[in-house]
Amino acid sequence: MTDASNTATDTATDTATNAAADRKLKEAYFTASQGQLIWARFRKQKAAMVGAWVLIILILSGLFAPFLTPYDPTIAGRDKDYQNGAPEIPRFWDENGFSFRPFIYTTTRERSIATNFRWVSEIDRDARRYVVLFPQGDKYKLFGMSFETHLFGVDKGYIHLFGTDSTGKDIFSRTFHAINTSMAVGTIGVFISFVLALLIGGVSGYFGGWVDSILQMMTDTIRTVPAIPLFMALAAFIPDTWSAEERFFFISIILGFIGWPTLARRVRTHLLTERNQEYVLAAQLCGASPSHIIRKHLLPSFTSYIIVDLVISFPYMVLSETALSFIGLGLKDPVNSLGVMLQSVTSADVLLNYQWYFIPVIFFIVLVLAFVFVGDGLRDAADPYGDTKK
Amino acid sequence: MLPFLRFAGIRAALAILTLILVSFIVFSLMELVPGDCAERYLAFKNSQGSVITAADIDAERVRLGLNRPYMERWGSWIINAFQGEFGDSCIQRLNISQLLGQKFWLSLGICLASLLLAYMIAIPIGILAATSKNAYLNNSLRLVSYLGLALPNFLLALMIMLFSTVYFGDSLTGLFSKEMRDAPWSYEKVKDFLGHVWLPIFILGWSATAFAIQTVRALMSDEVGKLYVTAAAARGVTGRRLLLRYPARHALTPIINSLGFDLNRIFNELPVVALILTLTEAGSLLIEALARSNDQQLAGAIIFMLTASIVSLNFVTDLILAIVDPRIRRSILG
Repeated sequence: MTDASNTATDTATDTATNAAADRKLKEAYFTASQGQLIWARFRKQKAAMVGAWVLIILILSGLFAPFLTPYDPTIAGRDKDYQNGAPEIPRFWDENGFSFRPFIYTTTRERSIATNFRWVSEIDRDARRYVVLFPQGDKYKLFGMSFETHLFGVDKGYIHLFGTDSTGKDIFSRTFHAINTSMAVGTIGVFISFVLALLIGGVSGYFGGWVDSILQMMTDTIRTVPAIPLFMALAAFIPDTWSAEERFFFISIILGFIGWPTLARRVRTHLLTERNQEYVLAAQLCGASPSHIIRKHLLPSFTSYIIVDLVISFPYMVLSETALSFIGLGLKDPVNSLGVMLQSVTSADVLLNYQWYFIPVIFFIVLVLAFVFVGDGLRDAADPYGDTKK
Repeated sequence: MLPFLRFAGIRAALAILTLILVSFIVFSLMELVPGDCAERYLAFKNSQGSVITAADIDAERVRLGLNRPYMERWGSWIINAFQGEFGDSCIQRLNISQLLGQKFWLSLGICLASLLLAYMIAIPIGILAATSKNAYLNNSLRLVSYLGLALPNFLLALMIMLFSTVYFGDSLTGLFSKEMRDAPWSYEKVKDFLGHVWLPIFILGWSATAFAIQTVRALMSDEVGKLYVTAAAARGVTGRRLLLRYPARHALTPIINSLGFDLNRIFNELPVVALILTLTEAGSLLIEALARSNDQQLAGAIIFMLTASIVSLNFVTDLILAIVDPRIRRSILG
């Protein structure tokens, strides 16, 4: 029995009003839908709830990235006077006094005989640039409408919270757009592997027998092939003439093909045990077609497991995309993704001098961790025997 | 003895069947990609200044036997592959076994070493985590294994490079130091090699360890609650002896079973880690072959060899299980 009914039995002995409330509680428990029960169990897990909040915030900030970030993440939004520039942290006060509006200093860069032909930047502490809210900036599209207003900016020049890369693109803007890209790649990839898994696992589990044996043999064979090297080989043959969007869809599809065997196996195992139940027999006797039985009777019996599996496989999609893009086989400029952003960081120059290139990594570790926490929490919550086991 | 040999024979046949299926998939995929070996080689020559016509490409195709029917080419490819002969690389025109040779075995050795490392850490820690009631220990172990999942190997490698460059001024990359790279194998070279190889092994073992800890812990905590463990405890078996003789032996079977897939996961991570750590002697040949050169002959050979090593590991673990697990032994011996 769950906590809800246990506490209910304790209070039932008190007064009549309590008893009525208790009956209501019990009723609520026994009539609760699967979703409500899962939500009630999920809400009790602190780590998973924190993960869920972080996840929601990150997803929203990915969706609204064009508004939240001050500049266009592609070459169009670059600051050509501040390449490989260090992060500029807004401050409220310095030796020149206090200001209610946060400000940053002006940096001028010079390269001449005097500086030995190297770029030397000089910070002018007296030339303050103040942070402003809702400035007009680069044009962007959000939900089909065109906007120019961004959340923040500075009154003169550019502000780069996370610094800039070698072409002067704002790393802060790129990071948030990259979250969006990763989510999109992950969603398409998860969707494809989901459809494949349902199809193959469903057929194999429902029919059983020799169909199952053959499909299982194929699945097992595919599972022994190391997927990433194989798809690296395939990605290498993408013609250079492909546009960024075509590459994007191709990579998403590839990732979808990597992910399906595990889920297909779970679907199959579940169907194998479920298909001998009486309600399936009843449906068959009523003349329902196999696809109808699988879709309407069998799959709903474990939707929650499927959802959990999807959430858990999501971060792996994101990470695989990152890895592929990182080695230059996945996405390419002007699409922003973590992998694209990290492409140049192995050079000694970056490692020694421009460590702010690594700031986006933190966001991605947090994103993946949030997914892992939520996935774990959902798994525990979706398990109807989770409470009794403990 | 005879039933065991029969069992081994059946398993070997199944393994070979799997390999044939895999070879078909790999071969077909390599056929599907645009362009073939003849075009690629001649395009390469074209870039060197010679003028290539369509007739040249056709002649080259005939010379390479690419005009033969599909199934026939696959047949000869697979027969050669089982003899360890993969023909010539498309672009470099060198024998692939020569090209891969030592590099492949080095990569495989590194992967197996990290697998070994992962389980050497994971088995004691997993057992500890499953049986200990210490919430603090459990939570911190949980956090570590989460980090192992969230911080993928290549990001870990990047982080280690970042810190070692900033603090020690050395990026810790490569498998040999400069002066040792082309030297013949000697005691000094082995020492140099061991001084470098620990980092890739550690990095590749990192998330494998996290996975393994989770598996071991889940299996052990399933087993320790079972009645046979209580019964053994009631008979007076206690402590380490109880854990190792009863639940650990049960949990061992699924772990040995999953070794092949663990190796698969490490292979998935090898190319990227190798690229970051510039392991030119080992894994990054994979990337060279797979990514940079569009060399389908070489790529096919590498993927086939990787899969073959997973299939052989699965075969070996099947045999080991038949020997160590009395339940499986009984079912074979009848």
